[in-house]
Amino acid sequence: MVRYIIRRLIYLIPLFFGILVIVFAATRIAGDPVQLMIGQNPRITAEAKQHLTEYYGLDKPLYYQFFLFIMQLFQGNLGNSYAIRGGIAVTTLIGDYALLTFQLQLLALFLSLLIAIPVGIISAKKRYSKLDVSVTTTSLLGTCIPVFYMGIIAIIIFAYFLGCFPAGGANSILPERYPFGSYELDRLWHMVLPTSVLTFAILAPVVLLVRSSMLEVLRQDYILAARASGLSERSVVYKHALKNALMPVVTYVGLYFGGMLAGAPITEKVFNWPGVGRLFVEATTKLDFPVIMGVTVFITIMTLIANLVTDVTYGYIDPRIRLE
Amino acid sequence: MNRKRFTKPESQNQTGKNRSKGVSQWNIAWRRFKKNKAALVGAFIIGFVVFLGTFDALIAPYPPNDTPGFDFQEARVPPSLKYLFGTDYIGHDVFSQVVYGARSALYVGFGAAAIAMSLAILVGLISGYYGGIVDNILMRITEIFLVIPFLLILLVFLKVITAVAPSGVGGLSIVTIMIGVFSWASNARIIRGEVLRVKESEFIEASKSLGASNRRIIFKHVFPNVLHLIIVLTTLMIATAILVEAAVSFLGFGDPNAITWGQQLQKANEAVKEAWWEGVFPGLFITLLVLGFNLLGNGLRDALDPRLRE
Repeated sequence: MVRYIIRRLIYLIPLFFGILVIVFAATRIAGDPVQLMIGQNPRITAEAKQHLTEYYGLDKPLYYQFFLFIMQLFQGNLGNSYAIRGGIAVTTLIGDYALLTFQLQLLALFLSLLIAIPVGIISAKKRYSKLDVSVTTTSLLGTCIPVFYMGIIAIIIFAYFLGCFPAGGANSILPERYPFGSYELDRLWHMVLPTSVLTFAILAPVVLLVRSSMLEVLRQDYILAARASGLSERSVVYKHALKNALMPVVTYVGLYFGGMLAGAPITEKVFNWPGVGRLFVEATTKLDFPVIMGVTVFITIMTLIANLVTDVTYGYIDPRIRLE
Repeated sequence: MNRKRFTKPESQNQTGKNRSKGVSQWNIAWRRFKKNKAALVGAFIIGFVVFLGTFDALIAPYPPNDTPGFDFQEARVPPSLKYLFGTDYIGHDVFSQVVYGARSALYVGFGAAAIAMSLAILVGLISGYYGGIVDNILMRITEIFLVIPFLLILLVFLKVITAVAPSGVGGLSIVTIMIGVFSWASNARIIRGEVLRVKESEFIEASKSLGASNRRIIFKHVFPNVLHLIIVLTTLMIATAILVEAAVSFLGFGDPNAITWGQQLQKANEAVKEAWWEGVFPGLFITLLVLGFNLLGNGLRDALDPRLRE
């Protein structure tokens, strides 16, 4: 087991390196970052420009900068921001925002799985019933609506017309506005809209996947055998079919996790949620390359960890796969 | 569709001709497709949007950036008979903008899908057919593109490119190209898998033993046999590309001069409280068009799957 994980980690190294190259290239494809930074400011002197270039180590050759970036990365140092909060360390910045992103995304993922799996199973069991048709139609629609559009609609209805939930942010500005004076309750109250929208967005494809995977499994011979040996329908579905039907779902969720984090800017922009996604958008608008690289590396590492966890989980669920 | 591609090699031409008088694979697919109501609805939606995009200048009551009566009386007017979907923050007719947005959505959708699918087909065919070290290298590259945070990298590239070219050289085209370049990986993998399956078939073996070149086998035998998959993936890719463009524009990294539904939503987002109609209608059209391509894609998948024979 440990050996398998180590082997996977070694396998991930070239992958990670390749991504770093692309990320680095993305920030340097336009040439000198200092030139980009001062593009909006015509009054800057050549001397100040020179000083900036030296300050950020941009006068060194490109390969050396890349090498330095990687060396620092392994020491847990992602450099300092160019533009946000007076050159704060990128790791500190990410640390401040990551928790909020995870709060939102993980809760939504958890809730959507909690709903999607039973709904998908019931839908598959009662195939072509009215319930099944409405579930599949709603899910299909859910995969077509952009998350931000869903968010805007939710804000229009629940925040403005009904006025029952806040339209954005993670907390009220004034502590007097906290429901019952509790900070945690206030956070929860702010989380209702973004979490619901995100849950529905994640939910829709998972329901369709659980349903089709369940239908596929229920057609297998071993299910027929289980039925023939007189097992109850309940036992057939939940003991024999479910475990097998969930395998594609595990793969999907594992792969989806990275996409979910990368999609964080969208939800966080709609609901003005102070997470890494919004941080990333802000940094990109300001061409703050250390923060851009830092957030991208952070999300890539999270994605790779999720993929690793998926592989390991897969080995546990499916005895046909031996982890060696 | 071109039926000739599916006839057998020259030596079997006689039987091939006889068979094509019966039912071809495309005929079977078309017959199945016609029965699928959802897919027909999808095709109808796409047709409707293509109609809007083609005749936009005739359908839209106002020119795209016209501000009919530019005074603040006409800004953020709720939907009425004069302004079907209301007007936006500087008095553009939202309905006209939605009509003009149709062409942009189709342009991005088809353009990005064409680029992404060309790359995916190239990588999938070569990787699957040749195998070995070529496959190994190509698949490692594919994995990089699969794991990379797609949206983030896309935003960085768009921002940097527009920073270098401030004149805004063909903004929407850059968005289209970038979406295409970064979204081929998963499709390449799927096509590779299918190529691996087809490669094991006996007719490939036969063709090889008759001395056909690799290129001939790839284009005459492998490609036609994965074409059904490619058609389905392309349809779904168009839907994805439209969604991605909307997201990019919404985040403020699209082409600010282009009229797209995503741009409309971005501007609307700043004032959903005052003018709900600014965002609701463009978003509705994004959803509708994406739904159309997804329904069509699913329908085509059922119709074209050679394993589902009547």
